[in-house]
Amino acid sequence: MNQKEALAWIAQIFEESPDRIAISTPRSDVPAWDSLGVLSLMAGLDETFGIVANGAELNRMQSVGDIVTLLQQHGKLPT
Amino acid sequence: MRFILVDEIQAMIPGKSIRASKFVSPDEDYFRDHFPGFPVVPGVLLTEMMAQTAGKCLDAESFERGRSMLARIDSARFSAWVLPGSTAVISAEIQTSRPEFAKAKCRVEVHSRVVAMADLFFAFVPRDRFAAGLRDEVLEAYLARQTPPPSLPPAANPTLAAP
Repeated sequence: MNQKEALAWIAQIFEESPDRIAISTPRSDVPAWDSLGVLSLMAGLDETFGIVANGAELNRMQSVGDIVTLLQQHGKLPT
Repeated sequence: MRFILVDEIQAMIPGKSIRASKFVSPDEDYFRDHFPGFPVVPGVLLTEMMAQTAGKCLDAESFERGRSMLARIDSARFSAWVLPGSTAVISAEIQTSRPEFAKAKCRVEVHSRVVAMADLFFAFVPRDRFAAGLRDEVLEAYLARQTPPPSLPPAANPTLAAP
């Protein structure tokens, strides 16, 4: 997976148009990134990448870039 | 209108799978409007039947993580009308069950024909958010049937009584 594909995946998780999701997009600009969105992200990370993230870790995220960093830390995306 | 859409649990492996049933009475009030002259069970109620059934399977698995609540309908499909007087057999397979969320693949059958299918996503709500003493009588009734009767003390059991 490359960065463009990762951003498309994140857009899908939050039911956003891919052109509204960039590395710099803050959480506050993603309406579906609420408490249910965090659970959707958690489930998606598990199902797609086998990453079992905890809720506290995901709740601390403040931007799309934080999700990309998480994928990089787990070796799912080149740094 | 009560909103208990499961009459009885027929079989269950907590946290894994469940099969339950619901008799759809012709007297249900919503048939007056859905639809006059052509009464059929609304798809939203079939979805709720599946959610309540899967929810009982999840609630039987773990009390501590809270009560399961339908949080998202990932997909739903309705393939046949469900008419008044039908008995719906509802089944669910739990696909994922974590402390924070769960996913279930569910379906409803009438006369062995699949009439609805859904992939449902659940969150868990702390039990202290609900009314004190809230009980799930359908789940409790099933669990009570699974509990073996206590063995009689020797003195009360003729086969074990001392000569």
